[in-house]
Amino acid sequence: MTQVVVPKAALRSTDDRLPEVFLAACRSEWTKLRTVRSTMWALVFTVISTIGLGVLLTALAVGHWDHRSLSEITGFDPLLYSYAGLNLAQLSIGVLGVLIMTSEYATGVIRLTFGATPQRRLLLGAKALTFSVVIAVVSLISCVAVFFICQALLASKHAGVSIADPGVLRAVVGGAVHMVLIGVIAVGVGAIVRHTAGAVAILFAVLLIIPGLVQLLPAPWNNDITLYLPNSAGAAMSAVVRFPNLLAPTAGFLVLLAYAAATIGAAMVLLVRRDA
Amino acid sequence: MIEARKLSKRYGETLAVDDLSFEVETGQVTGFLGPNGSGKSTTMRMIVGLDMPTSGAITVGGQTYGALRFPLHEVGALLDANAAHPGRRARNHLLWLADSNKIPRTRVDEVLGIVGLTEAAHRRAGELSLGMGQRLGIAAALLGDPGTLILDEPINGLDPEGILWVRHLLRSLAAEGRTVLVSSHLMTEMALTADQLIIIGQGRLLSSGPVADFIERSAGHHVKVVTPDADALVVLLRDKGATVTVDGPQDLSVQGLESRDVGILASGAGLTLYELSTQRASLEDAFMELTHEHAEYHGTTQSLEASRT
Repeated sequence: MTQVVVPKAALRSTDDRLPEVFLAACRSEWTKLRTVRSTMWALVFTVISTIGLGVLLTALAVGHWDHRSLSEITGFDPLLYSYAGLNLAQLSIGVLGVLIMTSEYATGVIRLTFGATPQRRLLLGAKALTFSVVIAVVSLISCVAVFFICQALLASKHAGVSIADPGVLRAVVGGAVHMVLIGVIAVGVGAIVRHTAGAVAILFAVLLIIPGLVQLLPAPWNNDITLYLPNSAGAAMSAVVRFPNLLAPTAGFLVLLAYAAATIGAAMVLLVRRDA
Repeated sequence: MIEARKLSKRYGETLAVDDLSFEVETGQVTGFLGPNGSGKSTTMRMIVGLDMPTSGAITVGGQTYGALRFPLHEVGALLDANAAHPGRRARNHLLWLADSNKIPRTRVDEVLGIVGLTEAAHRRAGELSLGMGQRLGIAAALLGDPGTLILDEPINGLDPEGILWVRHLLRSLAAEGRTVLVSSHLMTEMALTADQLIIIGQGRLLSSGPVADFIERSAGHHVKVVTPDADALVVLLRDKGATVTVDGPQDLSVQGLESRDVGILASGAGLTLYELSTQRASLEDAFMELTHEHAEYHGTTQSLEASRT
């Protein structure tokens, strides 16, 4: 135990260009993600809520099929019930995204992280990218799975769609992209706020409370503003039917992307400026 | 080598570090001493680029830390021994650090062995004892085999065996030609470990230089004499220009003369000596004297004594 041997091994990597620093940071962030239990639980919850809620609501709709009102029939989107679970999944993804930053501040690990990678903007980029890839994989698998299960259920009422139908593949992928961008926003909010409770509160307010409050605004404003809220912009990506209260899929994607870019951009400015 | 030039750090109204300049030499253990709240940790955070200096600069090997890529190969730091995710296993904690600087994963097991945590490698960081957490922090600092080590209070929470181990480790790291800066608020510990001292109080430099010089200069020493012929000896000593304090009917303490000279003087006059010895003031006393007015918090025993009467 009292042995003191410090080998003078040549550990130094010769290539230290910034892309190498970025790749190493991504690898390190992946190691961090897979070595804490909260990641696994949040991802399990994400998969269960995406698939479970979608299948449950679709099954209920199928059981209720002959008693539908006219508005339910005309406004029916074959993916509407399938992707209801994303509303819940975005919360676990959001909490996990926030924790990626705030748990490091809470435990003091952030000082080791910045000590190991003083290029803070690059580091935040690596965190956001690594998390995005994880969420993309998990969300895509669950979005594809819930799609096929729900369409099989709807097929009994001849209301299902095929993945090859116009806009359907785009909507399936759109659901996953929606979740990825919510995750990126959460990482940014975590980096800006630095405290778990505060960051989660802000994120949930944006995703859950503000949409309800906006609806209370006078007539043209409420719907106009709602179009551009993160939730609605994201939902536009996974809709097959064009709803009047949603943007076009591409516009929705760009709006949500702008939110993510603005949050990460603000976080990068603050990370460099503030002491750790 | 670590070099601070006119380094200052202000947090709002408080000037935590005030125009601090010093150099930390290679191949030596440099003790960084000061009372709690004197700016040691702030200075160390600035070395590794966590806090930005308000003015001045601090460099490692001539470079600011922020300019380094894969810095763990150059500088290893232990700033907060509790800095680990409590749910992450000890080995995984080192693994992500290794990955971030492209350090081979075999090195992780190597440093676990060096700090004696091989058995505990798969325990979660939150389940480690204070001392084991400290060892994990030291392992993280050693990971990149760096030429410079910065350790903030590394012996906190260690048992006597652990303290001895850290002392040996620091000495051997310095002997290998590395720069070792280690902070402490315990002067006695530093006297045993360090070659050089940098002492600060309220963010300002109070003293720097070799440990031996510090002991010589600020502690000073006196000669204790016990003699039945105290009165006669006092006269002789004062004639030689020594400062003599009479501590008791037979006890004298002499400053300004070596014990050898006192002995010669006494025997020349035929005086009997029961005891003749050189007394060195304790390092802790010297340190207290130096930093007393700069300590942020003063305890007091006055009220306790008053209430007793």
